Amino acid sequence: MPARNAVLLTGGTGALGRELLPLLSTTDCDVFVLTRGEGGAPDARFVHGDITHAVDLGMRQTDAAMLRERVTHIIHCAAETRFTAPLAHARAVNVDGTRAVLDFAGTCRAVRAVACASTVYVSGTRTGVILEREPGGCDWVNSYEQSKAEMEAVAGEAMATLPLSIYRFSTIIGHSTTGAVTSFNAIHHALRLFYQGLAPMVPGDLRTLVDFVPVDFAARALHYLVMHRFEPGATYHLAAGSTRSCTLDELLDETVRAFERSRPAWRKRRIERPAVVGTDTYALFTRSVAESGNVLLQRAVQAVQAFAWQLAYPKTFDTSATDAALAGTSIVAPHCRDFYGKVVESCVITNWGGGADGAL
Amino acid sequence: MSSVVALSAFAYHLPPTSLDLRQLAESGLLAGSVVTLESFGFAKARIASNESHVEMAIRAAQSVLDETETDPGDVGLVLYAGALASSSVAPCMPPPPGSVLHLESVPELFRYPASILQDRLGLDGAVVAGVNQQACASMFSAIQFGRASLIADPALDTVLCVASDRLPDGVARDIVFNVVSDGACAVLLRRDTSMNRVLAIHHVTKPMLFGAGAGDADGGADAEVVSAYFPTAVRVIEDAVRKAGLSLDDIDWVIPHNVSLRSWEILLGMLGMPMRKLFSANIARVGHTISADNLMNLRDAQDAGLLRRGDHLLLFTFGFGLNWSCMILEH
Repeated sequence: MPARNAVLLTGGTGALGRELLPLLSTTDCDVFVLTRGEGGAPDARFVHGDITHAVDLGMRQTDAAMLRERVTHIIHCAAETRFTAPLAHARAVNVDGTRAVLDFAGTCRAVRAVACASTVYVSGTRTGVILEREPGGCDWVNSYEQSKAEMEAVAGEAMATLPLSIYRFSTIIGHSTTGAVTSFNAIHHALRLFYQGLAPMVPGDLRTLVDFVPVDFAARALHYLVMHRFEPGATYHLAAGSTRSCTLDELLDETVRAFERSRPAWRKRRIERPAVVGTDTYALFTRSVAESGNVLLQRAVQAVQAFAWQLAYPKTFDTSATDAALAGTSIVAPHCRDFYGKVVESCVITNWGGGADGAL
Repeated sequence: MSSVVALSAFAYHLPPTSLDLRQLAESGLLAGSVVTLESFGFAKARIASNESHVEMAIRAAQSVLDETETDPGDVGLVLYAGALASSSVAPCMPPPPGSVLHLESVPELFRYPASILQDRLGLDGAVVAGVNQQACASMFSAIQFGRASLIADPALDTVLCVASDRLPDGVARDIVFNVVSDGACAVLLRRDTSMNRVLAIHHVTKPMLFGAGAGDADGGADAEVVSAYFPTAVRVIEDAVRKAGLSLDDIDWVIPHNVSLRSWEILLGMLGMPMRKLFSANIARVGHTISADNLMNLRDAQDAGLLRRGDHLLLFTFGFGLNWSCMILEH
């Protein structure tokens, strides 16, 4: 057995992976980051590879052989996270890619823990309280959810032969103290459309709870649960849960306030916050936009509806197992109201990562 | 003195030429898809071929005066509303196709339609003024100002509001997914009339939307208008109903501006109001007459016997600028 832990991390350049890397570096382990491109970090070695390559993840034979001997932990975060990605592509990355990672894990003689990052939205269109022990749903609002649910099925089968656990993340939106966003996703894009006055409505109910977690919580929790409290076969919800989520109404109000705080001139445009409408009305609107032929409207609607339909399926995420596993640590998901506004401000101030100015 | 003002009588005029969507397309008068416009609820448009917007205004105003046997000399205030910039000057020659203003000298800029209207109809005792720059909501603004004048001036008994617009010859008739017709309407405002009493008018203008964010590429201006339209319309309508001391459930009829039926399905869905309350007959057969829609629809709904005494009517319109305007009437 290797004398020292060695972690193979996929998705190390994504939002979660980047936050996780410094935490791993504080652990007594060697860190190998699988990457398609070039990269580097002070305390990690970047290994060229690609999870969509079935044979040894596309790594050079020498790298694959070295990792087979040394790897004790695999943290699989690489994913196609675009909600609008074609299902075939999402499957290729999230399902087939995970299968390739698990196949490789099966060849690592010292592997003790395999962690697969997933999403709480594998529950799809189910409503109500979603339990951690429940499998994914059978109907989804976008290709990301569906492919992740299918990925969990693959991971579930692999649990018979691998020490594997699943970590379902809520929507990760930014850092809890700085609000900084390192990887902009559909939520941030929707915020930008709202800022530009191009998000007239979303489906759902004002009272619907919306679950967000900050990236630092997500990374700390994952790090702790994998490196210090690994439990094969477990599934965790790294989510805010019902007590630390805001309603859609509260989020829309806070969004407006954050826009005004970070860019006072925005108020002059008097952009209404998106109306929250019934599903029939929203469906009619999206169909009308599709028929209109207006390219900008179509892009805006596609960007929002890729996740907005989730708002029409109100649900909360049980975090009992996660809370129990994290008990006694300082790792607690903050309430959404304590960081959401900072994230929105950060989006505006950085012009959604584009630099310069979100000028009005 | 009563502060209750009513729309005591109203009339409209449409040019006789009616073209269906395919005829419009064949004539080069549509930029968009016939199929899309049909699915949005349009079928025909009225085209003024041989009459100017001023002549249409005169015909609408003459109708309302004749029908009510009103002595033109009793009209104390005329408010002439025009949505288009070209509606605020009188045409003095047949303009080239597509031209908006075709004037040969500065004095022609002072040839006001309202003055011609006053002269032709013998509105000798009236103060005459123009109301514009609220686009399709200009008529609502004229009614709002006329109502305020009646409340403020005890000597004023009758206000005539007129709106008339005609698109330039040869231009596309579909604007932001709506089919536009030429047309005019006129309304007499009086105090103490028992029918069509104005309970509330609420108007919101948002002046900074065009080009402010999305740009013009890929239909940016249209996208901004559509995106702003719905949530603001909901707010304006809810505020107007509240100002009238009513709830949305109290509304018996929605008298629309004739933008797409689809947009009304969406808007009423957002408001939680049933489509059966919408008087929609003229959307297909006439289209959007810019600022004459609501009064044309009110007149037709009334003539069809659909309205009962005491019904609460919600009239809503939207104009570039951007302007949202809602009026609540008690029939």
